[in-house]
Amino acid sequence: MIDIIVFAILGTLAIAFSLLVVEHRSLVYGAISLGFLGIVNAALFALIGFTFIALFHLAVYVGAGVVFILFSVTMFREVPTVEIRVKRIALVIVTLIAISLAAIFWPYSNISVVAQSISYRELSKVFTEDYWFPFLVTTIALVTTLIEGITLARREAR
Amino acid sequence: MLNYFLFLVISFVMFAIGAYGLLSKRNMIRMLLSAEVMFNSALLTLLVLAATADPIRGGVVALIAIGVSATEIGVMISVGILFFKVRGEIDVYKLSKSREQKSRRLKT
Repeated sequence: MIDIIVFAILGTLAIAFSLLVVEHRSLVYGAISLGFLGIVNAALFALIGFTFIALFHLAVYVGAGVVFILFSVTMFREVPTVEIRVKRIALVIVTLIAISLAAIFWPYSNISVVAQSISYRELSKVFTEDYWFPFLVTTIALVTTLIEGITLARREAR
Repeated sequence: MLNYFLFLVISFVMFAIGAYGLLSKRNMIRMLLSAEVMFNSALLTLLVLAATADPIRGGVVALIAIGVSATEIGVMISVGILFFKVRGEIDVYKLSKSREQKSRRLKT
């Protein structure tokens, strides 16, 4: 019973923060809402049983990524640009996407969730033995992003 | 006991909100934020479905996805800063229009 209450609270918060990210007038508050969305999402991961991934999500995504966005948006001027015509088309497309996704995943509607207990030793074994190449590529991508970010940010306007 | 479909419903709603923001906004950073909402939704779907099939491999893919997402944020923010320095704005419509005008001028 307590699972359902926690899930209901987290689900409502996730949707509310998603709306705030998209619709809040201020970019700074939008970025803060994305940070809170990351925290709520991490709590949802922990509820399924992926505690380690929840911690990683908090540390890397919220702690590094979202905070980076938050500090960067303070450098931009606000551009409140929305087109009503596009908004209507977007609403129709989004409704169709949501219906299509619901139809695709309908077969999973009868399966109940049980919190998984994952062995971290096995996770790290699979990570280093079977997925070493994606791990290497991700590491190189992160390092090149760091260099790229510094290079782009330092380039002077002509 | 929770039903998996409840998690998926939350995920679909988040995905729809993100897609709506991505389609309707013109501010580059707002578009990035909307794409991040979609990424969060996709990650939740991945883990929920991985829990039914193979939690270990699903977890590994999720870890890599989070790393790649951090990379993507860095690239997009850097591009945004560069655009803002050069053009003084981050409205994607105006940026694409100025590019079209530039190519027309080059043709003539």
